[in-house]
Amino acid sequence: MSEQEKGPGGMSRRDFLKLMGAAGTSVAFAPFVPWGKFMPNPSSSVLEKVPVILPDGTQANLNTFPVNHAEVITYPETADEVLNEEAFRKWQFIRLPEKFGGGRKDVSSFRAYSMVCLHLWCLWKYWPDEGRMRGECPCHGSMYDVKTGTAYLGPASLQPAPSNTLAQLNFEADSDGFMFISPPTWGVNANGVVGYGRFA
Amino acid sequence: MAVSLERQNGLLTFIYWIWNELDRTIFTAIKFSFPSRFVSPFGFLGMLTFIMFITLGVTGALLMFYYEPIMTRSWDSVAFINNDVPFGFHIRNLHYHGSNAMVMLAILHMYYQYFSGRYKIRNEVLWVTGVILGTVTILEAFTGYDIIFSERAELAISIAASLTNSIPVAGPMIRELAFGAGFHDFVLRFYAQHVFILPIVMLGLMAVHFPRFLVFDVPMVMAICGAMCLAGGVFPVDLGFKFEPTVPPGITVPEWYLTGLYAFLRTQYVKFLTGVLWPALFIGALLLTPFLDRYKKFSWKDRPWVTAFGITGIAQILVTTYWGFYIPPDTTIPLVERLVIDPINLYLVMILLVPLSFGFTLMMIHLAKDAERKAKLAKANGPKKVSGINLSVKWTNWMLVALLAFQVFLNIAAYNAFLSGMNNVNLWITGVILITFAGFFHLYRYAMAQSKNIPKPPKFPTTKQIETSQESLPQTDVLPKTDVLPKTSGEKP
Repeated sequence: MSEQEKGPGGMSRRDFLKLMGAAGTSVAFAPFVPWGKFMPNPSSSVLEKVPVILPDGTQANLNTFPVNHAEVITYPETADEVLNEEAFRKWQFIRLPEKFGGGRKDVSSFRAYSMVCLHLWCLWKYWPDEGRMRGECPCHGSMYDVKTGTAYLGPASLQPAPSNTLAQLNFEADSDGFMFISPPTWGVNANGVVGYGRFA
Repeated sequence: MAVSLERQNGLLTFIYWIWNELDRTIFTAIKFSFPSRFVSPFGFLGMLTFIMFITLGVTGALLMFYYEPIMTRSWDSVAFINNDVPFGFHIRNLHYHGSNAMVMLAILHMYYQYFSGRYKIRNEVLWVTGVILGTVTILEAFTGYDIIFSERAELAISIAASLTNSIPVAGPMIRELAFGAGFHDFVLRFYAQHVFILPIVMLGLMAVHFPRFLVFDVPMVMAICGAMCLAGGVFPVDLGFKFEPTVPPGITVPEWYLTGLYAFLRTQYVKFLTGVLWPALFIGALLLTPFLDRYKKFSWKDRPWVTAFGITGIAQILVTTYWGFYIPPDTTIPLVERLVIDPINLYLVMILLVPLSFGFTLMMIHLAKDAERKAKLAKANGPKKVSGINLSVKWTNWMLVALLAFQVFLNIAAYNAFLSGMNNVNLWITGVILITFAGFFHLYRYAMAQSKNIPKPPKFPTTKQIETSQESLPQTDVLPKTDVLPKTSGEKP
């Protein structure tokens, strides 16, 4: 490293070449970076606005859906029956009881939470009985608040956020009252991650 | 075995040609030795682990012909293998018990190397790759029992995924990249990891981990394989219940090598700490062992701190392994209360085990050194003869014949059991056959070694010797008299 080799920036020729080598390597591999998109399964990450289809095949309507009642819906639904059976695609579509504001004729009286319990992934469900009116997991007894989707009792409630609040779906309704699922964003600060949770 | 070199036919020439050609390959770098007498298996536990790896590769490849890694079909395909495919029961049980044996042998192998300080002879790379290999082995076993997709498998998958999720910031992304989203992806991807990715990683690590000197002890290998069959015969692995997301699962615990971790998870404390950081700390401590151990001597007796740490680790593993299994049988208590372990209880015991283990280690070192000193004293006082089993040629031959006859009987019995559909009895007898073969082989090599040790027969006595011996004959006849001689000899002069 004699004085003559140093350029105006105070960098030797060898260091400059090393830098070029490193830059060239990163540039050469840059096109391969988006290839990481191969790994997440597109069948669960490509999302669009779809009608809320109830188990009997009809579209949910906020004028007719009974108050304090829950059904299982599948989202995102695929053409593959095996994939549709997936617990991770099962949601509790709930119309809140009267006392929590389920009587309103708009989407705010509806909730849809991922059925996958945040504790150990059993499928919880909504119990409309007087005195319960909450989501209950059959496995270890986690209880979910139906208004927020946050666990308030049982092992899931002991988990730190975001793993104490269920992932949820948002709705839109047309002028006839027919309901649609808005395209969700899977992220802990948005609709949440199924089986992991959401920041309430 | 004892092929005469004179009778060299074409096949033998071909084999020798191959053997010579191997000179140009990597194989000659590895020195295989086939012990001609009993050697302690502690020295070649690694080789036994590798034998299990090969066994698992073979049985696993066979299972792949029938297993279907699809969420709705995997349990049914395993049930089909277990109940309907001829020898499917055997293959599945060998695969299952082989995995347990491999994990167990790997753990024993590690602790033997740990306490004997073998990593000190410039073997740091072997040690580090070994610890990583052991971790991957457990992951491999874990992914294996997950893809049956029974109730227990589902809980195991959900714990694995929730632990990955619990990694700060990147957790959910890593989980989605590596495992996908949903059970369909999990089963398929765990399968890909189980049958290809992790074994390839293991083979790559093995390429570095293998030392140049390997011991292939035929009887011990046979005995281990036999033990695997025996275990399969006595404790055939069950199928569990098929996972149905709407049916609450019964109480299940993970495999024995993970119940230690499960005990920590059952404290319901932050998952990232209990399920990721604690095992990482344990593995990290093991990885650093050769660099922290600055003792000059090898023996555990001369490295009190290292030994005490090892004993503490083993004590904590044993206690947590049991604790992870233990669920209070009282069904009147709510399930969650039965499952949750009080963290204060658990961590207090963990801390309490440290002084206990240190004290135990110091006591053991003291006792061992004392025993060593006494043994030295005893040796100085006089030779101590160790009694061994010495069989004459005649009895060796009879034993070999008897073992062979026993094997014939066992073969008939095994065949009969198979024809009667008693799969587990058949597997059990197969285990006995292998162990009998181990005994047979050991006796054979013992006999071969003895035949080398037979003293040379005395030369044919010359006439002079005969004369002298004849002369001595009358002397022996009057032995009682010679007995009295010393006394009389004193009177003669």
